Amino acid sequence: MADRLTLTARQHVPPARQAAVLALGILLGLALATVVLTLSGVGPSAIIDEFVLYVFTTQSGLTQALTRAVALWLVGLAAVFALKLRFWNIGVDGQAWIGAIAASWVAIDDIGPPSIRLVLMLVAGAVGGMLWIGVPALLKLRLGVSEVVSTLMLTYVGFQAAQQLLYGPWRDPNTGFPISPVFDDPVERLARIGFGHIHQGIWIALAAALAAVALLQLSRFGFYAAAVGQSPRAARAAGIPVAATILIGVGLSGALAGLAGAVIVAGQEFRLTQHIAGDLTFSAILIALLARLTPLAVLPVGLVIAGIYVSGDALKAFYQLPLAVIQVLEAVILLSVVILDFFARYQLRLARPTVARS
Amino acid sequence: MTAALPRAVSPGDARSAISISGAWKAFDGRPALKGASLEVAYGEVHALLGENGAGKSTLMNLVCGLYAADAGRIEIDGRPFAETGPLAAARHGVGMVHQHFKLIPRFTVAENILVARAGASAPARRADAARRIAEVAQSLGFAIDPHARVGDLSVAERQRVEILRLLLLDARILILDEPTAVLTDAEADAVLGLLRRLAAEGRAVVLITHRMREVQRYADRVTVMRGGETVLAGAPCAECDQGRLADLMVGQAVHAATPRVRSADGSGQRVRLDAVEISVHRPDGTPAVDQVSLTLRAGEIVGIAGVGGNGQDALVEALYGLAPISGGTLSLDGARIEHAPIGARRARGLRIIPADRNDFALIPAFRAYENLALTEVPRGGFGFWLGLRRGRMIAEAEAAMAERAVVGGTPRTPTRLLSGGNAQKLLLARELKTAAGDASVLIAHSPTRGLDVAACQAVHQALFDLAATGGACLLVSEDLDEVMALSDRIGVMSRGRLAGPFPRAEIDRARIGALMLGHG
Repeated sequence: MADRLTLTARQHVPPARQAAVLALGILLGLALATVVLTLSGVGPSAIIDEFVLYVFTTQSGLTQALTRAVALWLVGLAAVFALKLRFWNIGVDGQAWIGAIAASWVAIDDIGPPSIRLVLMLVAGAVGGMLWIGVPALLKLRLGVSEVVSTLMLTYVGFQAAQQLLYGPWRDPNTGFPISPVFDDPVERLARIGFGHIHQGIWIALAAALAAVALLQLSRFGFYAAAVGQSPRAARAAGIPVAATILIGVGLSGALAGLAGAVIVAGQEFRLTQHIAGDLTFSAILIALLARLTPLAVLPVGLVIAGIYVSGDALKAFYQLPLAVIQVLEAVILLSVVILDFFARYQLRLARPTVARS
Repeated sequence: MTAALPRAVSPGDARSAISISGAWKAFDGRPALKGASLEVAYGEVHALLGENGAGKSTLMNLVCGLYAADAGRIEIDGRPFAETGPLAAARHGVGMVHQHFKLIPRFTVAENILVARAGASAPARRADAARRIAEVAQSLGFAIDPHARVGDLSVAERQRVEILRLLLLDARILILDEPTAVLTDAEADAVLGLLRRLAAEGRAVVLITHRMREVQRYADRVTVMRGGETVLAGAPCAECDQGRLADLMVGQAVHAATPRVRSADGSGQRVRLDAVEISVHRPDGTPAVDQVSLTLRAGEIVGIAGVGGNGQDALVEALYGLAPISGGTLSLDGARIEHAPIGARRARGLRIIPADRNDFALIPAFRAYENLALTEVPRGGFGFWLGLRRGRMIAEAEAAMAERAVVGGTPRTPTRLLSGGNAQKLLLARELKTAAGDASVLIAHSPTRGLDVAACQAVHQALFDLAATGGACLLVSEDLDEVMALSDRIGVMSRGRLAGPFPRAEIDRARIGALMLGHG
C-alpha cells in the first residue's frame, strides 16, 4: 500500500508564524514573478535592478513607492473595514471618484475661507465617499440587495459623473483638455514633506491606520464588527446593534476610499484628471486580504504593492510591457501567500498506514 | 415496531460488514482514537455508546471516508478499506447520517437527494426523486414535501430528510449519529423500527446513541467507547443492564440525577413571564404560533412538549425577540416587552439556550472568552467604547470555565474546537451567570440535545439551581422524558397552538401523546 499524505488542522497558529508566512509568501511570489518577467523578455539582472534595488534602496524609488502607497494604504484600510463586516465593497474606485469630485468642487468653487480650504476638501472627499457607499449599504439592509452588484455599478456612475464634469463645466479653459483647472497653490494642495514627492497625505494615511487599530482592535466597535461579520444572527441575539454596526463600518469604508480620492487630487495631481481611480478596488481587496484584515499589516503590505506598481512603471517605460503584467504579478503574489497560508493552518504529514495485510 | 421484533441471526455465522482494529487517529497531536476496535455484522443493529468526545463519531468518520486513520486496520465486507472520500465509502455501500446535518439549506428536499446521488439506483430526475421521497417517507410513517426548501424545515424535519437520503442511496451499511435526538418517542420508535426492518433485510446498522432505552429495545449488540478506546466490544444487548453500560461509558459509577425538590405550591409565587394570546405569522401570512398564552412564575420550570416543527422554533424566537410578535402581549416582571429589542429584554433578565447553539447563541470562529463576553459587551460590561478590556474578559472566562467544568480548551481556544458538551456548558456559563438579585428567566430549547450523560446532568442541575433561586425556565423540548422529569407544568404544542400548561400531576404520557397528535 502506498504512503498517503494527510492534512490535519492546527488548533492554533501563533501571530509570529502568520507574519513569517506572509513574508515568505511575498518572497515566493516575487520569485515566481521573476519567472513571469523573464518569459516576457526582461533579463534577470534587470528585474533585480528594477524591482528590489531601485524601489527599496534608492531614495527616488523609495519616495515614489511611498507616494504611491499613501492612496493604497487608505483604500486598503477601506477594504479592511468592509471585509470585517463581510460587506463586499467592490466599488472602492467609485467612492474614490466621488471623493475626488467632492474635493475638486471645494477647490474649484473656492468654498470656505482659504485657511481651512484644504481641510474642507478632505472632509468633502470623505463625506462624498461615505454617501456613495451609503446607497448600497441601505439597499442591502432594507431590501437585501447584493452589495457586490450595487457597489460595482455605482463605480461606473461615479466615473461617468467625473467625465460629465470634465467634458462640461470643469473643462480646462486654457487648454480645452478634459481635465479641470489646477488647484490654487498652496491653500488647495497637500504640501510636500521634503522627501521626494511625498506629501502630507502620508500623515493622513498613517493617522487613519492608527485610528483603524484603535477602532477595530481596541474598541467595542471592533468587537461588534467581528461578531456581525462572523454571524449577524448571533450578534443580533446578543443585543448588538447590527444595522448600526454595518452602517458605521461600511460608511467608514466609503469615507476612507473617498479620502483616498481627495488625497490623490490634492497631493499628486492638483486637479481632477482622467487618472484618479481605476484599479484601486482590486489592490484594496488584495492588500486587505494579505494583511488578514489587520490595520497595521496594511502598511507593509501596501508598501510592497506600491513598490510593484513603481517598478511596473519602469518596466512599462523601458520594456513596453502592458499594465496587465503588473496585475499578473499581483495575482501571483496573492496566490503564493494564500498557498503558504494553507500550510500554516494545516499540518501536512506522510501517513504510513500500518495495514496488517493488503 | 415493538420490543418483540425478531432479533437478527446470531453474530457467529453472519457476514462481517465493518471490522476495525487498532485504529489510531490524532488531531494536531491530540489522540481522538487510541487503538479502537469495532466489529459489525450484516443483519444486526449495533449500538455504539460513549460520552461526548469518546471517539464514536471519529471512528465512524473513518468508515465513511471523511478521515484517514493514522494507524490501524479497517475492513468493509472483509476487504481492506483505505480510500478516502464519501464517494468511495458510498461505493462500498456505506452511508452515514451525521449529527450536524450535511444538507444544503437553499436546495429543496428533492434537490438535496439528487446532489447526494452516488449509486446507479438513486433517482436521477427531480420528479423521480420527489416520488421516491414520498414513497419512503410514507413507509417511515410521515409525510414530507419533496419541494420544500430545507432551510425552511425545522431541525426535526431536516433529521428525517437525512434519514430519507440515506435510504434512497441504497446504503448496505447505515451509520446514524444520534438519529432520534430531536424526535418524539413515537417518531423515534417509527425510525428505529424501520432500522430494525432494514437490518432484518440483511443490512448492517450502526446506531450511535445516548439513549439506553433505544439500546435495550432496538439493538442486537452494543460497543462502548471511552477516551478513544473500546471498553466493551460487541456484547449482546440481552446480557447488559443499564447501570453497567453507564458505568462503562463514564468509567465510574454514575449517580442518578438528584431528584428535584419542588416548592409545595408555586401558584403563590410572583409572575415572571406572562404571554397572552401571542401569535407569530410566517411570511405567507399563515400563523406559525397561534394565540399562545402561558405564565411562568418564579421558581417554576414549565415544559413545552411536542413534535418538532409545530411552532416551537417560532415561539422561542418570538419570546426572545428574534421574530416579531404579530398579536397579543408579552410581559416580563410586569413590564410589557412584546416590541422591545433583544438588548432591552436581556437587560430585564431574559436568557436563551437555542436548539442549535451555533445558529444564534455562539459564534464558532470566536474564542471561548469572546463568546462568553458576547452578550455583556453591548451592555458596557467590559469597558466603555474605547478600551475594550480583553484582559478582564479572559480572566472572567478562566473562572467561569473552571466553575462550569468546561474542558478541552482554554479561554483563547476557538469555540468551534470545543466538543458539543463543552460548548453547551460554555453557553450555560454565559446565559446563567447571575448578577446579585436578578435570577434570569431562561428559555431553553432542547438544551441537552446530543449531550452525554454527565453533560446532561450538568444542564439539568443548572436549570434546577435557576428555579431554586427565584428564576424561571421555559423548557421547550422534543425529548418527552426530559420534559416529564423536569417540569412543574407541561404544555403541548401542535400546529402552532398550545394545550395547557397542565400541572405535572394532572397529565400523563398517554394524554401528552394524544395532544401532540392534535387530539384531545
